[in-house]
Amino acid sequence: MFRVQREPAIATALLMLCLVSAIAVVYSSHSCRRFYGALQDLEIERWRAQAHYSRLLLEQSTLASPHRVLGIAKDELGMRAPSIDAIRVVVE
Amino acid sequence: MSRQRTQPVEPPAWRFWWLSLLLFALGTLLIGRLVLIQAIDKDHGAGFLKKQGAMRAVRLAEIPAYRGLITDRRGDPLAVSTPVVSLWANPQHLRDSDLLALANALGFARDALEAKLERYADKQFMYLARSQTPDQARRVLDLGIVGVRSQREYRRFYPAGEVTSQVVGLTNTDERGVSGLEKHLDAELFGRPGKKRYLKDLHGDAIRDIGVVTEARHGTEIALSIDLRLQTLQHRELQRAMIATGAKAGAAVTIDAWTGEILAMTNHPVFNPNSRADFNAEAARNRVMTDVIEPGSTVKPLLLVAALEGGAFTIDTLIDTSPGRMRVNGKMLSDPRNYGEISVSRVIEKSSQVGVTKISQAVGHEPLLEVYRRFGFGVKSAVGFPGERAGLVPNRERWADIEKATLAFGYGLTTTPLQLAQAYAVFANQGLRVPLTLLKRSANEHLHSERVIAAEIAEQVLTVLERVTGEHGTATRARVAGFSVGGKTGTVHKVGAQGYIDDQYLALFVGIAPMNEPRYVTAIMVDQPLGNDYGGGAAAAPIYARITEGVLRLRNATPRMEVSREMRLASLGAEQ
Repeated sequence: MFRVQREPAIATALLMLCLVSAIAVVYSSHSCRRFYGALQDLEIERWRAQAHYSRLLLEQSTLASPHRVLGIAKDELGMRAPSIDAIRVVVE
Repeated sequence: MSRQRTQPVEPPAWRFWWLSLLLFALGTLLIGRLVLIQAIDKDHGAGFLKKQGAMRAVRLAEIPAYRGLITDRRGDPLAVSTPVVSLWANPQHLRDSDLLALANALGFARDALEAKLERYADKQFMYLARSQTPDQARRVLDLGIVGVRSQREYRRFYPAGEVTSQVVGLTNTDERGVSGLEKHLDAELFGRPGKKRYLKDLHGDAIRDIGVVTEARHGTEIALSIDLRLQTLQHRELQRAMIATGAKAGAAVTIDAWTGEILAMTNHPVFNPNSRADFNAEAARNRVMTDVIEPGSTVKPLLLVAALEGGAFTIDTLIDTSPGRMRVNGKMLSDPRNYGEISVSRVIEKSSQVGVTKISQAVGHEPLLEVYRRFGFGVKSAVGFPGERAGLVPNRERWADIEKATLAFGYGLTTTPLQLAQAYAVFANQGLRVPLTLLKRSANEHLHSERVIAAEIAEQVLTVLERVTGEHGTATRARVAGFSVGGKTGTVHKVGAQGYIDDQYLALFVGIAPMNEPRYVTAIMVDQPLGNDYGGGAAAAPIYARITEGVLRLRNATPRMEVSREMRLASLGAEQ
């Protein structure tokens, strides 16, 4: 009597669990694919950003190269390093 | 008849059984085959089939990783990897009708493209254009020509160009370091490409990515101890001097004696690292570390150390150098003139051969050799640069008197210019030697410094070195306005096939500044200066002065001016 009632209950429970886990597998593989897609987009974005950054870095270092700065300071702005007579040392 | 028709005909029993048996056998065969494939999985089973499927559709692609940035100590980039795109084509898939558009987009002549296609007619892969900027590549890819694909890569650029060429070094087309620091630090700088799996269609185009197999690991960023401003200044002054003296080669190095950091290191001749066509091995050498030279008179301060440590001499002990020449083993050693009786300090100031010989005879060669070794001669520096040389401190059983004497003049042993700077840094750092480095040290890094000589002896050597640039010294041209500097010149005969060459010299200068707070050590080497100004005092010392002036200004050293105190008092008085 007891046995007869219990077995279908266990079977039903197991079946339900099986179904839930199957759906969970579907869900997780779907989100895996979705996240992977997002990752790809971000990778591409990073690649672009990296390209942009390194180009800016090169541009900046060309514009700010000591040679160029010296040239502009000397020729365009008429600057020069002060001679030692022109320097006053302020001691606190 | 009608009765016969309605009467069902009973089929023979064997038919049913045969049919059942047949169906059952077919079913068993199918199931058996399934079991063979899935469960037993022998030669042509599931594994084999999966592999065959993957071979046709799944491909591995590289995820590119960038090589680490190299910057100077202030963060200015010295080597940058920038993304580029290489365009390639599968000649089997290209259509003739697309060729004109493709050639135009690439900037080729149509004929040239066709000729290239001819050569690759039986291949599956052909580069169209390498290392294109992403924008250039996009213009071609946007045409959507069948068979044209792109590949992401990185290319190394050196913004500082020839200024840092020998120090930073080069990479090959695979972005691996092949010379200089690029080689030395390759393990940290190298970006390890990752791998990902994707599904492709019949034409080889990716349909979708399946997943990452291994993550790409990007290279780490490395800050050098080099200050690009100083490096540029040193480079400019060295090049200028090379042109003025007509010298064959030159090298200069500036180190911060307190931290052991190399602030600037330049060489002549130079090459442009951004153009591979320009490369020549002679110009790629970092002479500061890879060239061994006889140091000549620049090692005389080390004789002074040996003399002071022996206890028999002070810097004021008098040495009789008259008549200004002496004979050792039949070789005549002579001074420019008879200096008479002069102090040990003056012997170094004047670089008197006779005086040095007399001191070295009294000290003996063994203590001197021991001092040379203690100061790091004959051993590579801590930098670990590719191709760095150790130099040679001789180790012999029997010594002729002349060999003992010339050892004190800096002949018969070899060092690199860097080792000379390292030795002088000991004087600047109160007798402590800090391991040298080309990497930036953090402010609180523990320095594994070791005591080489007593602080008092370092102090006395500095006093003598300061006098060398004074009125009576050999290096008046090393002086820097507003600061007191110290140093020692060296003029060395070059060695040829037949021994020392009479008219080919190496001019050397090693200096320390500022003397009130000794910190920056600069060594200069000029290889074969032409004309009459071939000596260390005439060819190398002026370069030292110009470089040091810039070093002190850029490092914010306070000028030491005798007049300043009076001026300050005067201005204070005016206010009251």
